[in-house]
Formats: sequence, C-alpha cells, structure tokens
Amino acid sequence: MNNKDLDIYVLIKQVPDTRSKAGVNPDGTIDRAKAGKMLNPFDAYALQAALNAKKMGGPNSKVTAVTMGPPPAIDILYQALEHGADNTLMLSDRRLAASDTLATSYALCQTLEYAFKQNGRPGDLIFCGLQTTDGDTAQVGPEISERLDFTQITYCEDFSISDNEVHAKKIIEGGTQLVKAQLPSLITIANSYQKLKFKTLRGAQFVQDIKRSSKEEQAKFVEIIDLDACHAEELRCGLAGSPTIVSKTWKIGVVGGNCKMHQGKSVPDLVGEVVQGLPILEEFVKI
Amino acid sequence: MAGEVMVVAEQVGSKVAPVTLELLGEGKKLALKLGQHLTCFVIGHNMQDAVQEVIKAGAQKVYLADHQELAEYKTLHYRRVIVDELGKWTTPPHTLLMGSTTTGRDLAPRVAAFFETGLTADTIELDIGPYEHTSGTDETKLGYFPECLYASRPSFGESLKARILGPWKDPQMATIRPGVFPKPEMLDSAPEVEVVNVACNFQGSDYRVEIKETIRELETKVDITAADVIVAGGYGLGSGEGIDLLKQLADCFENSVIGASRKIVDLSWIDYPHQVGQTGKTVRPKIYIACGISGALQHRVGMQKSDHIIAINKDPDAPIFSFADHGIVGDLYQVIPEMINQIKSKRNSENKELKNA
Repeated sequence: MNNKDLDIYVLIKQVPDTRSKAGVNPDGTIDRAKAGKMLNPFDAYALQAALNAKKMGGPNSKVTAVTMGPPPAIDILYQALEHGADNTLMLSDRRLAASDTLATSYALCQTLEYAFKQNGRPGDLIFCGLQTTDGDTAQVGPEISERLDFTQITYCEDFSISDNEVHAKKIIEGGTQLVKAQLPSLITIANSYQKLKFKTLRGAQFVQDIKRSSKEEQAKFVEIIDLDACHAEELRCGLAGSPTIVSKTWKIGVVGGNCKMHQGKSVPDLVGEVVQGLPILEEFVKI
Repeated sequence: MAGEVMVVAEQVGSKVAPVTLELLGEGKKLALKLGQHLTCFVIGHNMQDAVQEVIKAGAQKVYLADHQELAEYKTLHYRRVIVDELGKWTTPPHTLLMGSTTTGRDLAPRVAAFFETGLTADTIELDIGPYEHTSGTDETKLGYFPECLYASRPSFGESLKARILGPWKDPQMATIRPGVFPKPEMLDSAPEVEVVNVACNFQGSDYRVEIKETIRELETKVDITAADVIVAGGYGLGSGEGIDLLKQLADCFENSVIGASRKIVDLSWIDYPHQVGQTGKTVRPKIYIACGISGALQHRVGMQKSDHIIAINKDPDAPIFSFADHGIVGDLYQVIPEMINQIKSKRNSENKELKNA
C-alpha cells in the first residue's frame, strides 16, 4: 500500500422518491412538490466506494460529499456524514434552475475547483454514481472529467489503489476489462458494486451534534456556496448556459388502450379466451 | 450552411458494431432532410473491412483513424483523434451520433464537454425540424431555427417522452439506444467514396490509462433479441423461485427465452443478459408474455414493438394493460400453470389428430 493521503470527493444528488406512490399522479407524471425525496440510489454505491477508497489511502485521507440542488438537498449531505463522510459542500443557487448536463457539469466543476482551492490542493479521486434515476443520462461524470482533465473509469465494478494508481475492473460491451489509471481520476460506480453499508454510530452521533450546534459550527461540515463564491459565470449556468432545451413533452403512460382485458372469470376461462383468441400462439408451440 | 451528419463508428475486434449500422441507416434520413452528406468516423486498427462495411451501410465519406493504439477502445486515445480532427474544421458537423453503449456513454460526454455543446442521452427517436425560441433570459438565443436535430427520449418515472434540441451550437450530439432503429439495407458492393486519413497525434497524457486485460464473453450465452417468444417476469413473481415457472411456460414454445424487468435483475433473481428495457435489451419478438411486470416506461421502451403482447398481472390498473394486446387480470401462479396446461392439452389433441389422419 503506502499510499499518500487521498482527497476523495463523491458527487451525489437528491432525486424524487419513486419507491413510494406519494406525488405520483394517476397518469404517471410526478408532482415534484408532493413527491418524497431521496438520495439517488446509484449514488449510494459511489458513496460506499468513496468510503472504501479512504481506507486505501494514508491516515489523513478524507471524503467530501458534494451536491448541487435546492436547500432541502442538504438532507443527503447529512446522510453522507452519517455514513462516514468527513466533509460536505453544496452549491445552491436559483440561477442554476433548468441546467442541462453540460451546464450542470460546468457548475459542479467550479464547485470542485472551489473545494480544491480551499483545501490547498487538487483532489485525487472523484466518485459518481453511474447515472441518476431522474435524468438517466450518465453524462455529468465524464463531462466533469473532461473539464478537469482527469483520467476516467466508467462502469467500475471494483477497484483498489496502490502506488497512487487505481486498478479497476470495469464493464465494457460484452465483457469486463481490468485497467490501471493514474490519479487524479474520476470513477463512475456500477450498481454491481458493494451496497452502501449502514450508518456508523459515530457518524449518526456526529450529525446529531452538528445539527444542535451553532450555524457557524454547522458550516464547518456542511458548507453552502452560491455561484459567486465559486466564480461561476452566470451565463454558463442554468437555462442560459444549457445548450439544449426540452422543446416538447408527450405523455406516453396512458396511450394505447386497445388491450383486450380478460378478468372476473375462472382462471381456466381467462386463459382459454387468450389461448383460443390468439392463433399465432400455436405457430410457436413445440410439437 | 449546415454541416454534415456524422456517425462515430463503434468497433470490437475491428468489426463494426450493429448499432453503428443502425445509426447510419437513420443518419441517412437526417442527411437527406438537411441536404447534406452522411459521413462516418471510423476509429480502430486494421479497419479496411470496417470501412467497406460502413460505406455499404450508406456512409458517403469516411474519416479513418487507424492506429495500433486504437485497436481497443480507450477513452483518452479515442477522444484525442476526434477532438483533434473536428477541432480544426471551420464548419463542424451539424449532427454527431454515437451508440448509447458503455463505449458511447463513456466517449460522447467527453467530446461534448470539449466542444461545449449539447448531448442528448439514450435517444429513441431522431428527426430534423424547426424551432422558434421566443423567450428566455439570454437574448442571444432568440430566433427561428429551421433545421434542428430533434432527439427524443423517455423521461423515466414521469411517463413522458421529451423532445430535446439545441440548435445554437454544432455539432448537435446524441447517443442512441442500440436496437431502436432497424439495420439498413446493405449495398452489395461498396461504391468509391472519399476516405480521409485522420492524424493520430497522441500526447503523453493520453497514456495515463492502461488496459491490463480484456475479458470478453465470446458468445453471449443468452441472446434474447433473437427469440420468437419471450416469457418475461417482473417483481410480481414475488421471489426468484418464480423464474422456474416462467421456464416451464417458455419450454412450451420453439425459439423461446426468459426476459426480465430491471428490478428483478437488480435483485439478482436472474442475470443481466435477460434484462429488457432502457438499461437492458430492446426486443421485438412475435409473442411477449409479461408476467407480474407493471409496465414502467423503462421496461416498455424495450418491448413495445413486440408483435403480440400478453400481460398477466394482479393489478387491473397496472400500466402494462395500457399497451398490451391481451390482458389477464389474475394471480400468475394460477394463470401460468393453467396456460401451460391448456397449451399442452391443445398440442396433444392436435398430435392425436395428426396420428389419426
């Protein structure tokens, strides 16, 4: 091992909670105001990866959880602290509304640069979830990696760090690959990685303590900054900074309606109607 | 004047990936609408055959980066040849397309961030059309744009399909799901088209990642895209043991296979190659029997083009019934055994008739 101390960042996002039915309209659309919120499930793997990476580094290695979002997203930063993150940082600014992936990657990149500066040196590792459940693009991680000129390992299933290099197993088309990448590196974690472990007792106690402490004390562990603090250009953020827009949406959850329904009869009758009513079935029945 | 429509080819072992051919087929339509050429950027090593292949699929000009360092996909090396080449053009391509594979999803965002341009992920529909931007804080964006790339994709959890566009900056980029577009008709022989050799000026920093080993499953044991009949299971199975029941039903049919929703793959009830939907395979079998699958959009986009969809679900309000052809409301643990029973007895009686005849 003998690794140096590692500065590890993990990018996390708060997303609508799609596990519960709260806020889900009958037509399948989501009322974001009413829906519950949760940590993006893919990011839970990334958080665990960051915590594991900390153990692979020197004794003063640390994990900083970073998010961008409206004020309530602070909940997931507390969650990260409960699981063992050392620090957190949030970019929150109304001017970020309607950011697409490129604008998001710019704003997060500025946030990371801000953290690197505060810390006196650039980060060694950035972990991201594979994608989010509300955007499903998987683009923000690699876009940040391009901006920071980090090496990049996507779809990472497992990794270790030695001699200041990452040795990783990653998914590729039709197989897997073992790669070695120099630090600094941005790694997106596949959902075949280890599940997030339980909160630590110490982490839970820690969060209780800071929630009870003064605002100044809270800000030491949960720092909230705006675009000005991280020197982000307004025109490169939010709607103005997004090269793409959604020009039109269609509801597609309730179209169709030509389904022949079979219900309210005995099981043999229900099945009989379908088997008799669909002659094409016979074509494929084994003789 | 708009630039061309360019497809970045994907290759494994110097062979063109199917998604590249699908994109050339669809890209041709876009190029025709724009009155532009369809071009293909081929990256790899020993790619002569691949070049012929993309030309047969419709490419009217090929940019070829052929180098031993490019034999296998590597983020930084592939990125290098693309950004170096396109970075020196005065008119960038109008549209730049890649497959939404693990490779395309790794490479496309890096290229998009380099050019500070828009990228739509996991597109399922492409078109060219107009757009007028009339409101917004940024006045430089206002205007009428007659020829935008329309890239549409499902927005999950919200049962919406969204059209995404960004005419302010070329190339307008999108990654496209494999299997969404049909493979184009291939020309018998490749016509003479211009092949531009692209310079490979790798920098020291491009070598920061090294491939130690590549393990490819030479044959995918399960190819659900080739089956005529798919018996698919979802969370409604209740447990992994339900897979056995699906197998019994699938066994009644020729060329059949088990399909699965993302949820039960995540739960490890069945392996990933069986997964149907946005993050799995797109399938178009003759018969799709969905058992205990609610029919969330991410599953639906992977199977809605099946010829005949039979859905079995306890919940009469399950979304799957909004697009299935036949819906059976009932407990799949009663319905499937009965279905097996009826199919077998029908077959037996037919066999008897055959014997008697």
